[in-house]
Amino acid sequence: MSARPRLAGRVSLWLIALLVAAVATIQIRSQAEVERSLVGVDATSLAFLIDDLHRANDSLAAEKSDLNRRHATLASGQSGAVDQELTDEAQRLRAIEGLIPVRGPAVVMVIDVNGLTALDLQDALNNLAAAGAEALDVNGHRFVTGLAITNTAGGVAIDGAVIVAPWKITAIGDTSRMSDVADVMTQQLRADRRVRSVSYQVGNDVEIGSVLSEKPFVYAVPS
Amino acid sequence: MSRRLASGALVALVALATGFVLADQVRTQLLTPSNQVARYQALVRSVSELEATNADSRRQIADLRASIDSLESSAAAQSAGTQALRDQVADLRSHAGLSAVHGPGVRVTLRNGIAGPGPVGSAGYLVNFQDVQDVVNLLVASGAEAIAVNGRRLTPLSSFSGSQGQVVIDQGPPLSSPFTVLAIGDRNRMSDALADPSALPDIRAREVQFQLDLTFTGGPDIELPAYDSSLQIPHVSPA
Repeated sequence: MSARPRLAGRVSLWLIALLVAAVATIQIRSQAEVERSLVGVDATSLAFLIDDLHRANDSLAAEKSDLNRRHATLASGQSGAVDQELTDEAQRLRAIEGLIPVRGPAVVMVIDVNGLTALDLQDALNNLAAAGAEALDVNGHRFVTGLAITNTAGGVAIDGAVIVAPWKITAIGDTSRMSDVADVMTQQLRADRRVRSVSYQVGNDVEIGSVLSEKPFVYAVPS
Repeated sequence: MSRRLASGALVALVALATGFVLADQVRTQLLTPSNQVARYQALVRSVSELEATNADSRRQIADLRASIDSLESSAAAQSAGTQALRDQVADLRSHAGLSAVHGPGVRVTLRNGIAGPGPVGSAGYLVNFQDVQDVVNLLVASGAEAIAVNGRRLTPLSSFSGSQGQVVIDQGPPLSSPFTVLAIGDRNRMSDALADPSALPDIRAREVQFQLDLTFTGGPDIELPAYDSSLQIPHVSPA
């Protein structure tokens, strides 16, 4: 065998080895890339995210449908249509902002506590809000996001008003979803030594009579 | 010569096939028997498709609200009564977060802790929704009038949820670090509260333990977007 074919054979062998190494490396690296992009989010969390997104998209679809209806009504030019739509929206926004008494199906939780903090109340109210609460009240004090929950010398306070135990939390909204959350909260709170007792009830028509007073903006200006 | 070339090509083909088999075998070892990574990929794909639908819906909602506002404006120009009603609603919308606002305020940034000794790319501490909520609550207690987190305006019905570094606010997509909280209000009061070492004790502890990063700056004119999702309250009626 001459020297030239032997050299060609060696080169071919090296090329093949390189190719095999490259293919293997690409395969393994692509695998690592996928894993890296998912660092910190496990399959269970992704499943919860999907569930949340499905529910969110359903809510957005309902909002779109309502806005399309309002748009069609306004565009129709019917006499009084604009005034009626504005009046309805004003009433709805007053309910959302806690400015008027409201009623509806509700979960009412009573938590008798000794030593719970602002964070505990913040968590409880946030859990109910995330489960679809549309109006909230604690011991006759209306609560909306944007009101401060703080620890004071006299105990936990909402917007400066001290909330004395037991805490009675009324949440109007989707009672099916809120009951599930209330179940979990009840179990967790019963395991907490600071909690003397905790229970909840579902009511078909519960009234929240507490209201907030309007606070005009001092710093924020419409764009 | 041609026989030698053919046998060389055959060897190359066999080696290539061996390479693929080898790589596939290694990959199978990594995948685990239940093919977890493939399932992960399917879940991630679902999340990304749902997020695209979510973004599209929110864009449509913003467009519809702008269009409705324009129709109301035309009607108000022809009637003093309608104009008075519209002014009332505009104020209520502003407080509900349905219109963009601007003014003096602060910009707070919250970032994950530094990478730990675990897998490549992992953070030592992932900022969670309770951390973001704590910052928001501190700003509210310091007089913030309007707040947005990563471009999501908060409303009176806003809630926070999520897990493992993902924060979900209302019907928006999952958000992750870095988190930027913009708040309009008395910037000196808010800055003082953020600088107070006794405030945000959990976050302060994680700053020391995990180098979680909390920074803030004041600004003379901060712009907050309007809320672009649903504010339906189907279960509530006036008492």
